[in-house]
Amino acid sequence: MGRFMSQLSASYTSTRIHCKNIPGLVRRQRVLCRRHPDAMVAVSEGAVQGVRHCQKQFHHARWNCSTIPRDASVFGSHVVGSTRESAFVYAINSAGVVHALTRACSRGAIANCACDLSKQGNHEDRAGQFSWGGCSDNIRYGSAFARKFVDARDRGQRDARALMNLHNNRAGRKGVRKKMRLECKCHGVSGSCTVRTCWQTMAPFGATARWLKTRYDVATEVSVQPDGGGLILPLLRTPRKKDLIYLEPSPNYCLADSTYGFAGTGGRECNATSRGPDGCDQLCCGRGYTTHRRQVTTKCECKFQWCCSVDCNTCTSWKDLHFCNIKSSSPTHMPVSSHSPTFSLLAQSLPHPTASFPTSTKSL
Amino acid sequence: MAGAIIENLSGRKLGILIMFLLLCQVVCFLVGALIAPAPSSVLSVLGTKCVDKQYSREKWYYPRGKGRCLHRISDPQDPEVAKQGISANHIIFTFQIPSPKDNQVLDYSRWQQNLIAMMHLDILYKEEEAEFDPNALMTIEARLGYRNKGDPDDRWTEYATSTEERILDCSISPEHRKAEYMYNCSSVPLFELGSLHHDFYLLNIRLPIHTPKEPRDHPTNVYLGALTDMWVAFIHQNGGFTKVWVSLKTVFFPTIVGIMVWFWRRISHLARPPLLLEYMLMVLGAALTLLNCPLEYLTLAFDCPWMTVVSDIRQGLFYASLLSFWLIFTGEHLMDDIERNNVRAYWRHLSAVLGGCLCLFIFDMCERGVQLSNPFYSIWVTEIGTNLALAFIILAGVCAGLYFCFLSYMIWKVFINISKKRQSLPAMSSTRRLHYEGVIYRFKVLMLATLLCAAMTIIGFILGQVSEGQWSWDENIKLEYTSAFFTGVYGMWNVYTFALICLYAPSHKRWPKDQDTQSSTGEEIEFSRLATEPSEMSSITGYVTKAATD
Repeated sequence: MGRFMSQLSASYTSTRIHCKNIPGLVRRQRVLCRRHPDAMVAVSEGAVQGVRHCQKQFHHARWNCSTIPRDASVFGSHVVGSTRESAFVYAINSAGVVHALTRACSRGAIANCACDLSKQGNHEDRAGQFSWGGCSDNIRYGSAFARKFVDARDRGQRDARALMNLHNNRAGRKGVRKKMRLECKCHGVSGSCTVRTCWQTMAPFGATARWLKTRYDVATEVSVQPDGGGLILPLLRTPRKKDLIYLEPSPNYCLADSTYGFAGTGGRECNATSRGPDGCDQLCCGRGYTTHRRQVTTKCECKFQWCCSVDCNTCTSWKDLHFCNIKSSSPTHMPVSSHSPTFSLLAQSLPHPTASFPTSTKSL
Repeated sequence: MAGAIIENLSGRKLGILIMFLLLCQVVCFLVGALIAPAPSSVLSVLGTKCVDKQYSREKWYYPRGKGRCLHRISDPQDPEVAKQGISANHIIFTFQIPSPKDNQVLDYSRWQQNLIAMMHLDILYKEEEAEFDPNALMTIEARLGYRNKGDPDDRWTEYATSTEERILDCSISPEHRKAEYMYNCSSVPLFELGSLHHDFYLLNIRLPIHTPKEPRDHPTNVYLGALTDMWVAFIHQNGGFTKVWVSLKTVFFPTIVGIMVWFWRRISHLARPPLLLEYMLMVLGAALTLLNCPLEYLTLAFDCPWMTVVSDIRQGLFYASLLSFWLIFTGEHLMDDIERNNVRAYWRHLSAVLGGCLCLFIFDMCERGVQLSNPFYSIWVTEIGTNLALAFIILAGVCAGLYFCFLSYMIWKVFINISKKRQSLPAMSSTRRLHYEGVIYRFKVLMLATLLCAAMTIIGFILGQVSEGQWSWDENIKLEYTSAFFTGVYGMWNVYTFALICLYAPSHKRWPKDQDTQSSTGEEIEFSRLATEPSEMSSITGYVTKAATD
């Protein structure tokens, strides 16, 4: 278990942040941490949120975000690769921090920010006139603080990697802003909408994560200037502020690669009938897969219940489970995985983030 | 009511008086528009979700300060939360108000008078099955505490605690039926405080679940679906507005008392006993004085949760006496030669006013009165309560309808009589003619003034609905319309009552003659006065012709 992740987990459920104990902060970040302890709670909460949603978005892909390089967090250091995936990780991390900070403002958890009261008076939208009211999410504060804190590591450095990170951080912040919605309430005699009060609110973070995923799908590769001091933007398709950029092509994520901290797809469960990224053909990279017939106990007919329980029946059935081979030469090898097969079925929609995180703490 | 000042005042004096009253009215409006802030402000707070697996009703959970809850969650749908074994019973939504701003800890001021809380839930639309009923019955365990400046951070004192039921009302438009969208749920009233005596307040809310084990058992809160967040909007009166309002009252209070004393001294100087209408004017003045009495000063020193009930009663008394006054005034100007001058003659009409007011009073006591002991109480939650409340309101509505029937009928009769008398006026003796012309004039002036006031109130109200909030015709000058409407209307009814008491007081120009005709009726007094004071006639006839051309 990496120290960074345990830091995050601990800070996620408690509100005590000890700036000294967080490894890998640069000086500027440490100053901010000391000065704004209440905001730091939100920062770590946002980082965890980013990780969760990254894993949700890439659940089926070969790269399933289980290998977020340690530095993907606001508390880490430099990423090894400058791939499309690391671009996404930077963006979603920065977006998560913005989102959590902004929400914390609305909760009154941060002493120097409150609801955004700059919007006043009357306004008009497609549905007619309305007046600003309620609590508009203070995205300006969230964005500004996230920029100060998350960008601190790369700010001031002129190398290509730093520029890439800054660009992707900005795209992440943009993703939250992009998913702001207008929410309204009607006042008037028995439901008539004579007076409408509206406020700006952030969409649930999943909406931003999904938007960033579409940006990931069309991310732009840029090249480094020969002297290493800047980026050469492609003339044909100049990336806009909302686009993700990366410097080097991604590996195929088939085999374990220690430089990328990736455990490989060997042992992962795949879908034999799917043609998509989660299909055995693609996920196992042609190494083939092993099929096991097992009796599995799954939860079925699940109903979601307030607050946190998923009310399910237990169904038991025989199922064919397919697991990617680790090496193409060993056709009937038992899957080597940190998950037990039943576990991965039960928690299919969201793998346990801590279970699959790299354990190396080289840079911490 | 004979020989009122309004008949005897010269045109110039009357003009000056009217100009002065109009000026007062404009000043009241402008005080609201330019000096006062909006009447109330809203502070919306997103709940902090504290978690305590050993939840206890005696413990306070708060997000800021020493001893704050350390275990929190941000997203209940996060699988990590379920993995930690957290259930709905362990989650406490906490609201510590007021929220800090610009690095400063704010506190409520006693000038802010009252606090209303409305709850609003964020419920996520789930593509997969969720136990959700858009009109679910929520069971809310709510606890309200307070703390004052100088108290340690963890010393919260209980103000009220209650388990309440509220009905959810959610909908979602078809284009939003996809992941990451919220249901559109209407706000639910939570509590109402009649006084804002303390500096800081803390609201703890739990939505405990209870899944029935036995078939007859009632499930609680199992149909709330993917509830992710809870907002509470805290609405308080603005301190600046209260200051302006109380200042207005402080000015009006002695003014109306003064004019009443002046009025009563005039009446007591008369040889005859006071007439019914004069009593009514005194009642109206007394009701307004009660309304004007700046009791709000008490809230600055004492905790007065009963203030809202008292102001409701004061307002009710004023409106009741105003309605009764109109009724009796019309009745006294019927000119059908029936001697009334007695409250008993109006018992049918007045019982409509009384009945309506009584209904509203009972309704108010059922809602506000119970809220004195439990601020979370609302009569609208239970079906019986809703029916009861509706019954009282409908009954009050029936009384109001009855009242307006009576009043319109009487006004119609007055106008019939006026036109009848008009036809026979030339045939009358001059004194008799002048008497009737005086009656018609008095009645018409009051009708005109009343209609003007009512129309202004209604127009002001509609304007307020059309253009919510602020008006500005300039970058620098902002008009606070809602405040201006409140102060304007309040000032208007004060000016109206002031004018009534002042103009309908008996004129002292007839004293010398009155003393020897004390046994006669008002009509005869009028004749004798008019016969002996020809100098007055020019002014009266001047007004009569003016009124007639109207």
